[in-house]
Amino acid sequence: MNWLINTLGSSIGKKLLMALTGLGFISFLVGHLAGNLTIYGGKDAFNSYAAHLHALGPFVTAAELGLLLFAVIHVATGAILFYQNLQARPERYKVNKSGGGRTIGSATMPYTGFVVLAFVIFHLLNFHFVDKTHTTIFQIVSEAFASPVYVLIYIVAMVIVALHVSHGFWSAFQSLGANHPKYMPFIMGVSVAVSVIFGIGFGFLPVYISLFS
Amino acid sequence: MQLDAKIPDGPLAEKWDRHRFEMKLVNPANKRKFDIIVVGTGLAGGSASATLAELGYNVKTFCFQDSPRRAHSIAAQGGINAAKNYPNDGDSIWRLFYDTVKGGDFRAREANVHRLAQVSNNIIDHCVAQGIPFAREYGGLLANRSFGGAQVSRTFYARGQTGQQLLLGAYSSLARQIAAGKVTMFPRREMLDVVIVDGQARGIVVRNLISGELETHAAHAVVLATGGYGNVFFLSTNAMGCNVTAAYRAYKKGAFFANPCFTQIHPTCIPVHGTYQSKLTLMSESLRNDGRVWVPKKAGDTRRPADIPEDERDYFLERKYPSFGNLVPRDVASRNAKEQCDMGKGVGETRLAVYLDFADAIRRDGRAVIEKKYGNLFQMYAKITADNPYETPMMIYPAVHYTMGGLWVDYNLMSTVPGLFVLGEANFSDHGANRLGASALMQGLADGYFVIPYTIGGYLAGTPQRAVTTADPAFKAATQAVNGRISKLLSINGHRTVDDFHRELGGIMWDYCGMARTNAGLEVARGLIQNLRAEFWENVKVPGDPGEFNQSLERAGRVADFLEFGELMLIDARARQESCGGHFNEAFQTQENEALRDDENFCHVAAWEFTGEDKEPAFHKEPLVFENVHLTQRSYK
Amino acid sequence: MTKTINLTLKVWRQKGPHVKGKLETYHANNISTDMSFLEMIDVVNEQLTLDGKDPIAFDHDCREGICGSCGAVVNGRPHGPEKGTTLCQLHMRHFSDGDTVVVEPWRSRAFPIIRDLAVDRGVLDKIIQAGGYISVNAGGAQDANAIPIPQEVADKAMDAAACIGCGACVAACPNASAMLFVSAKVSQLALLPQGKPEAARRAIAMLCSADKAGFGNCSNERECEAECPKEISITHIARLNREFFKASFGSSVQ
Ligand SMILES: Cc1cc2nc3c(=O)[nH]c(=O)nc-3n(C[C@H](O)[C@H](O)[C@H](O)COP(=O)(O)OP(=O)(O)OC[C@H]3O[C@@H](n4cnc5c(N)ncnc54)[C@H](O)[C@@H]3O)c2cc1C
Ligand code: SF4
Ligand code: FES
Repeated sequence: MNWLINTLGSSIGKKLLMALTGLGFISFLVGHLAGNLTIYGGKDAFNSYAAHLHALGPFVTAAELGLLLFAVIHVATGAILFYQNLQARPERYKVNKSGGGRTIGSATMPYTGFVVLAFVIFHLLNFHFVDKTHTTIFQIVSEAFASPVYVLIYIVAMVIVALHVSHGFWSAFQSLGANHPKYMPFIMGVSVAVSVIFGIGFGFLPVYISLFS
Repeated sequence: MQLDAKIPDGPLAEKWDRHRFEMKLVNPANKRKFDIIVVGTGLAGGSASATLAELGYNVKTFCFQDSPRRAHSIAAQGGINAAKNYPNDGDSIWRLFYDTVKGGDFRAREANVHRLAQVSNNIIDHCVAQGIPFAREYGGLLANRSFGGAQVSRTFYARGQTGQQLLLGAYSSLARQIAAGKVTMFPRREMLDVVIVDGQARGIVVRNLISGELETHAAHAVVLATGGYGNVFFLSTNAMGCNVTAAYRAYKKGAFFANPCFTQIHPTCIPVHGTYQSKLTLMSESLRNDGRVWVPKKAGDTRRPADIPEDERDYFLERKYPSFGNLVPRDVASRNAKEQCDMGKGVGETRLAVYLDFADAIRRDGRAVIEKKYGNLFQMYAKITADNPYETPMMIYPAVHYTMGGLWVDYNLMSTVPGLFVLGEANFSDHGANRLGASALMQGLADGYFVIPYTIGGYLAGTPQRAVTTADPAFKAATQAVNGRISKLLSINGHRTVDDFHRELGGIMWDYCGMARTNAGLEVARGLIQNLRAEFWENVKVPGDPGEFNQSLERAGRVADFLEFGELMLIDARARQESCGGHFNEAFQTQENEALRDDENFCHVAAWEFTGEDKEPAFHKEPLVFENVHLTQRSYK
Repeated sequence: MTKTINLTLKVWRQKGPHVKGKLETYHANNISTDMSFLEMIDVVNEQLTLDGKDPIAFDHDCREGICGSCGAVVNGRPHGPEKGTTLCQLHMRHFSDGDTVVVEPWRSRAFPIIRDLAVDRGVLDKIIQAGGYISVNAGGAQDANAIPIPQEVADKAMDAAACIGCGACVAACPNASAMLFVSAKVSQLALLPQGKPEAARRAIAMLCSADKAGFGNCSNERECEAECPKEISITHIARLNREFFKASFGSSVQ
């Protein structure tokens, strides 16, 4: 097992962990978004989606634990990377300028990552770890988004998620070694598309809810 | 002292085999008892270090750059010759041998050159095995191109970066031996003296360029592979650090210096464009495969090249040498360019340039093909000159490029100091009075991979040696002398910088000992150099301390040696009363302005012995015997 | 034809690895636009020497963009603002009269400063020593044409092999990672049939060596590719990643 620790502890191993967990989150978000789109179908559609989901019982718990594990790995590895990378350049440049490789997404990964983490905790506290015995999820959501502050927080958070994903998506492929001149432009395109879809898809929901519920 | 080249007996083609058989061997278990110092990590030193370590010797390797991978060989562009005859165009070991001897204007040793041609094929095999990405045809087999002085395509290449790739191959083999603990690598060390004990080379003194400390190292034999001395001209295509110091220090310790006046002026370089300029840039000779050299027919024609109609252009190489055309050897191409400029037909701002035109090739093959072949060279040219060679002809002018002269060595590559071996450009052995393109890389690797591994064994097995450590008084004496010189340089504190002296020295050498030489000029130059040297030791300003990273001090030491060595070149040039290859004395030329040899009196190697400071060096002659080729007036018509 | 410009230079001066450094201001006047950046520093150094000051230390040798000795960060850009260009090949025509130019050394924990702009890049050699070679002794090779290698493969290997080991990728990387350098060698040898037998061992050993040297971790920022004077592509990093996974999960190499 020593080899596995060495492999995953190496710089490429850490990339592998970030890429796999990151892609895991992206798949989760795709599902989450698809589910959330039922909101456009109205209150009942959304509630019944939630009910169906909960009916899956142990699977949900397993998935939740999986996500938690992914989160721990992603966050912990990210934190290690951030710290190590800071250490790798003890004296910083007086003048910093990009040669054109970085994007806002890539340059802000640790920070957007941190914000996303904070947001996820906030989000879970608001919508997940609440007592749902007397209310429906739709009620909770629409009450929350009645407050413009909430809406704003969510919109900002979604822009940040989109930024994080804009780098994270294609970067995961690169990390996994999937960079081929024929396919990379496509992956890059998808990367942008996915982040835009996440940003708008999730970001418009609170607006919609606050306006129409 | 009678010079003995130790050329083995027997027919030319069998000499090397026979010699390898007759040489004494060091038994494999005993090799680890021998320490060998290698100075230099270019193609010659890098390959020698790796190979000697592979055999089991303990090797200590030195270079002045921060990494062995940065030796000047890295800059070679065009290619490396080998007699593979893959294109099936009639090449053979014999033809490569003959072309090289003829290209050198019959001033090289037959036996050495033949051996070089013999091992040339092994080099390519080994380099491919190392993973060098040579250019290939679509079918996956190796590609070849043509170089000057040959009518067959025998040059292997890796884009315009052949030297880089070959060096990285040698460097990787070296890295493997460093990892294996068989080579100890000492980068950022400058060799400042050879230490001689009981008449044998047993060690060196180096300066640690970071700390400034002087270090001594002892061994059973010392191998110098320290490259050429082209920087005596200040402006050359050599890297800034190229120097004569190591070789010159060895000369002062008793190694003879052979043919120092044989320097090569490369025809295709980017012309000089300002006094601040620090070096010249070569455009690979391979460009002459497709580029056509021309000047306006009319002297003083200042029209733009595009405005000069075809019939007012003089493609002078094609006109004068119909069979070799633009691919005549370098000395011939360079001299012709100079001749055109001397007639006032030069082009460009300074009028010291000729055109190298790709318009026809682009029309014939298309831009894509030309770009694939020379893209990086064109890009480099564009970067430096801000001209686009796809649209307007390049401007080129000859520049100092390579030095055929070097420390005298016998067939075993040993100098006149027992145990001191010299490889690569630092020795004089294989190129005579003019080196053909793509043959220096071949020679460096031949020496390092395939010659020294055998001949050094012969020396070590056959020479009684006593145990010597750096505690020996000879090391102390050498260190003291080196120290004294460094203190002296730092204490002068005059008014002129090192570069200022170097630039002036270069000017003298270029004007009087460059492409064309005259007896009167050589004598004038000697006086000028003596004065300059005297002024240097009174008026140079070297800032900083000895015990620190001090690049001015490094340069000062090198220039001090160039100032002495330059005079030796002038003496050698003056003594050789003939023209041959790169040495062109205006008094000796054919009616067509070609170099006119005097085989009666000068078919020899001139080897110079140091006899003391400010004393005339002693002349020794190694007659050259040609048993297999017929000496002719070179003709490339 | 030749134009001259005047510049204000702010150059990092630092006497040694453990001394504090700072930016010093110099004036470079009458600089011909045909000069290279290093020739411009030569001019400044000549003046500093005559003024009895220490000239600026910087590594350089070939001055034609191939030895990999030179390099400094110019206004935040390793090797300066031109694409695919080393510092020695950067010409002053890319600057304008009156510009202020800040010149700093490569900054990375793995590259201690020797003096001023000269840094110690010895770890790059160590990485190659860990496995950047094919184990073949001189004398044992078969005929060079015995294994045909498709031109496309040879070309790709050559693209990677063009690395000059300058370290600009490290200097440019926001994480001071050397991944582009490591990948160039691993990729070159992984592409070629000659390199296959040792591919697994090489990928692991070279990566471990780089990790130990104190470089940061690659996070696909792509600054290396943007600043590399030989324009080495990050597709080689992807290949390195594949080679590493293959070696770690699919071979018996530890
Ligand atoms: C621009 C250019 C292009 C060329 N193109 C070609 C070509 O296409 N084909 C071809 O065949 N030839 C070519 N040549 C010639 C060829 O590159 C050289 O002759 C050859 O590489 C010399 O190799 P070397 O090993 O003898 O010396 P170098 O590669 O010069 O190595 C010298 C070594 O000695 C060390 N050294 C020197 N002095 C000291 C000292 N005092 N102390 C410690 N170490 C020292 C250096 O650090 C270095 O490691 C070209 C040359 C130039 C300049
Ligand atoms: S990959 Fe590019 S930037 Fe990095 S060392 Fe090689 S040439 Fe320099
Ligand atoms: S000095 Fe050699 S690459 Fe710049």
